[in-house]
Amino acid sequence: MKKILLIISSLLFTLQAHAALNVFACEPEWAALTQELAGDKVSLYTATGALQDPHRIEARPSLIAQARRANLVVCTGAELEVAWLPVVLRESGNNTVLPGSDGYFEAAQFVTMLEVPTRLDRGEGDVHALGNPHIQTDPRNFLPVAEALGKRLAQLDPGHAAHYQQRLAAFNQQWRAAIAKWEAQAAPLKGVAVVVQHKGFPYLSHWLGLNEVAALEPKPGMEPGAAHLAQVLNTLQKQPARMVLRAAYQNERPSEWIVQHAHIAAVALPYTVGGSDNAKDLYGLFDDTIARLLAGLQ
Amino acid sequence: MNALEFDILLPAFLAGLLVLATHIPFGMRVLQRGVIFADLAVAQIAGLGVVIAGLLDLADQPLLVQLIAAGSALCGAALLAWIERNAAEVKEAYIGLTFVLAASLGILLMSRDVLKDLLVGQILWVNNTQLIGTAVLSAVLLIVWRSLHGSPSHLVFYALFALAITASVQLVGIYLVFASLIVPALATHRLPQRRMAFAFGIGISGYVIGLLLSVWLDLPAGVAIVWAMAVVGLSTAILKRPG
Repeated sequence: MKKILLIISSLLFTLQAHAALNVFACEPEWAALTQELAGDKVSLYTATGALQDPHRIEARPSLIAQARRANLVVCTGAELEVAWLPVVLRESGNNTVLPGSDGYFEAAQFVTMLEVPTRLDRGEGDVHALGNPHIQTDPRNFLPVAEALGKRLAQLDPGHAAHYQQRLAAFNQQWRAAIAKWEAQAAPLKGVAVVVQHKGFPYLSHWLGLNEVAALEPKPGMEPGAAHLAQVLNTLQKQPARMVLRAAYQNERPSEWIVQHAHIAAVALPYTVGGSDNAKDLYGLFDDTIARLLAGLQ
Repeated sequence: MNALEFDILLPAFLAGLLVLATHIPFGMRVLQRGVIFADLAVAQIAGLGVVIAGLLDLADQPLLVQLIAAGSALCGAALLAWIERNAAEVKEAYIGLTFVLAASLGILLMSRDVLKDLLVGQILWVNNTQLIGTAVLSAVLLIVWRSLHGSPSHLVFYALFALAITASVQLVGIYLVFASLIVPALATHRLPQRRMAFAFGIGISGYVIGLLLSVWLDLPAGVAIVWAMAVVGLSTAILKRPG
């Protein structure tokens, strides 16, 4: 049955336009970056949507079919996709995109990781041995990733190497200018105290100088205990925060609760490309993130 | 306990009392009818309504979402009543199948993890609007229930039950709904007298002990209450067993 589904789906996909490279992106931000760097030279497939938790997705035959025809798999790595990607790649039977091969690209390898644990204990909830994998909330991280990804595209598709080089240079220039603009806009956010719904924003806080005073869910993905919540409220009495941050894909109830108890603003951030109406591409993602944070200050 | 902790626990405790007020009498009837998993099926169908409302881009109109959830639950109730009338001897099988189908359709349709939000407790996040809304609904349901002297027709029973479950699942999560419905009714089903008083005693003790454990040991509140209520219920059943 699985085979039949695979055949049907691969038949469907061969009807798509033939580009030089088929790229399988695990998250929308890497699809967007690949698009910036490759333009029409690649055919893109994105495995997770902005409103899905990339830790957990349902395995579907289409994922395997897409991995089978991929020339390049672009993912965050750092164990973010550990629950499903190894299975999908193994089932795809595509040796050119297995970890370690040229067709497998992990963005996290090119970035300085934050929150690398000194002690590893699964009892702490979803922790990552290689550090916090949500690197896409700091735009500066895209520069080294783009550099490496651009080279990889040129390596896999040498016929268009000049094209990739040119686009990479253009992206570098535009992106650096955009970062300077965002940093100027975000100046009022420096040192602002915030509560986070879960520990998904260390790179954003690090970039903008936000001061994370508490996390509502100390063990990500687990309901907190009442004692922890009392501690959070206690902290907020001593050190009032201006807003509570959550990703668009998260349940809004913990944020609503802290809004009522501590009278602060709730801010839902797009978190990745497609997470809000304005976050249509990488530039929109950070335009909207900064705009929402500034609105939370009002 | 300090004022802050009290401030956190009081809304959760009130939510528990509201859930118990309707679920204990309904739970006794559910046990008597042998439709233990009807609550899971109804909750799942109501959840399916919420998922569909989300797909139709109605998520930002909370009242409409609630109406859709209640409407879906009532359709589920009609289905359960039909099953009970037409397939009484295999009704548990049909109810279980309804649950699995509704849950699976939810996964097929949904783009985000609503199911987990429904399953795992949300009792600590309760807000005043939800409490007032559920209080009004519970009062209406209990008045209708009383006016029928606790013996309504299949359809009316399932309709009242469906509305109660739709509200309570969103308030405290499905594990606590199931425990509140079944534990007090099951632990007291052999008691010759004062069954209702004992059932409420078990339910209320479960919420009080569970919430206190959640503060003292920093445990997730919903699952702590489920276990506290089960232990109190089991102890009562053993201590008060006839003969």
